[in-house]
Amino acid sequence: MQYNSRIKTASFWFLTSVLFLFPVVFLIVKSFTLPWRYQAHFHMHFTLRGWTTLLSENQLVSATFMSLLIGGVIVILNLLIGLSAGKALAFYQFKGKSIMDTLFLLPLIFPLLAIAMGVHIAMIRLGLADMWVGVVLIHLVPTIPYSIKILRNGYVSLGSNILEQSTSLGANVWNRFLTIELPLLKPALRSTIFLTFVISLSQYVITAIIGGGNVVTLAMVYFPFLQSASSTVLAAFSIWFALVPILFYIMVEFILCFLPYQSPWRMKS
Amino acid sequence: MRLSETNKAWLLLLPAFLFLLLPIYGLLSALWSSLRVNGTFSISVYQQLLARDAFWGSLIYSLRIAIVATLLSLGFGLLFTRTFTEYINKTSGKLAAWIPMLFPHFVWGYLVLLLFQQSGFISYMAFQMGIIDSREAFPILTNDKSGFGMILTYMGKEIPFVILMLLPIYTQQNTHYQDLVQTLGGNRWHSFKDAEWPWIFPVLLETGVILFSFIFSAYEIPYLLGATFPEMISILTYDWFYSGDWSERPLAFAAMISTSIIIGIIAWIGFSLMNRKRWLLTKGNR
Repeated sequence: MQYNSRIKTASFWFLTSVLFLFPVVFLIVKSFTLPWRYQAHFHMHFTLRGWTTLLSENQLVSATFMSLLIGGVIVILNLLIGLSAGKALAFYQFKGKSIMDTLFLLPLIFPLLAIAMGVHIAMIRLGLADMWVGVVLIHLVPTIPYSIKILRNGYVSLGSNILEQSTSLGANVWNRFLTIELPLLKPALRSTIFLTFVISLSQYVITAIIGGGNVVTLAMVYFPFLQSASSTVLAAFSIWFALVPILFYIMVEFILCFLPYQSPWRMKS
Repeated sequence: MRLSETNKAWLLLLPAFLFLLLPIYGLLSALWSSLRVNGTFSISVYQQLLARDAFWGSLIYSLRIAIVATLLSLGFGLLFTRTFTEYINKTSGKLAAWIPMLFPHFVWGYLVLLLFQQSGFISYMAFQMGIIDSREAFPILTNDKSGFGMILTYMGKEIPFVILMLLPIYTQQNTHYQDLVQTLGGNRWHSFKDAEWPWIFPVLLETGVILFSFIFSAYEIPYLLGATFPEMISILTYDWFYSGDWSERPLAFAAMISTSIIIGIIAWIGFSLMNRKRWLLTKGNR
């Protein structure tokens, strides 16, 4: 039995290393080494050129800010819509609830390309095409269904008893939301924020259609790079795509500290 | 006046409904654009579309890639989750298994390119170890007609997603049913079929529908790793949409509407199967 479980542990770490960890380590190493030559003997030439080229690319900084802006707004809108819809689906019984469930899944299922092509003309008429606001709207489509799902599950596991209790103790809706719902939903909020930000960061084709090339996010810079830049620079750029959400995550964690009862210093004393 | 419970629920759902208008409008507008020729209603665009070999080639190719990639991701994801639930559930396991989620699809696609193309890492290693004599001896695995590179990319990105969807079921699994099956003399297969499958099937189906529709119509990965012929349906559509020739725009809309219809049919079958299963489950008379 002991022997078996050791094999299991080993095989788990072997599989995750090969499938998930190795590719990332490979990218990191690649971003610091010159491309390998076939004829020469195996030798790694370390270089910082990949990173210096990437960081000196003047579009990178502005594209990163544009991605952060769009991602930030996307996250806020997702939280507003996801929290309210999630709560309704978790606590209320009403006719047509199962239809609702399916309806909120549909934006994930139908082709984003079709939806983006469909709203393109309307966005041009409304003056939203080629604007970051238009891109924000189209990025809502692949993100909102996930937010509703995650936050709904969050509310379900919270249970309605604790909310009823606070109401009977005299808390108003806002108090209850701020001191009970938000702190206790922290894990669900965290996943929602992280997932929606990453999804927004990953959109190329719909950003290209609605943004018309004027809204330059990181994905919009990455694609043209694929043809021109060396693999060392591209590897660095690929890592950058993971660094931006991590940076965003750290900022969010800092903000989450300001929720009631969440101060890390309070726990220690 | 106090709101009734039902009205409160609808009020809370209002923002989500407002959001739904956007994708619904998009789809209807695409449908509208595909049905109008010179300002009049006509299905001639569809007749034109169905007469194009390129469309059929792309459609069947995309279907094949999407089905294979979805089934492989679901299969491996399920196997991985049920074997390693306790490990994945730890923080370290979660972090490791969900790393690919940190990256966009196209970054993972580029990674597959770096690893698997003829001048890629694996070919290089095989050459250094003397397994192959030249890089041309390495099989063409990316931008290939069989779509190997695309399928591999999707598996790398979607297996963690499948794990994410299945993990809650396996961590909260009620093992009493398994015990019951064993007490009644069932073997491991019985225990899987009767005590596990009914719970995971709806989630597996939902995940499968999401994956299939996404892979079927996604643009980024085929752009990076697809072959020039046959091309995935999204690439063909995009070319038509942005071709200098405006007469091909309606074709682009019609191609995407056809794709949507296929997805709609598959999703409908999936969801009706799922609802029946769920209904039986709550009735408890499986």
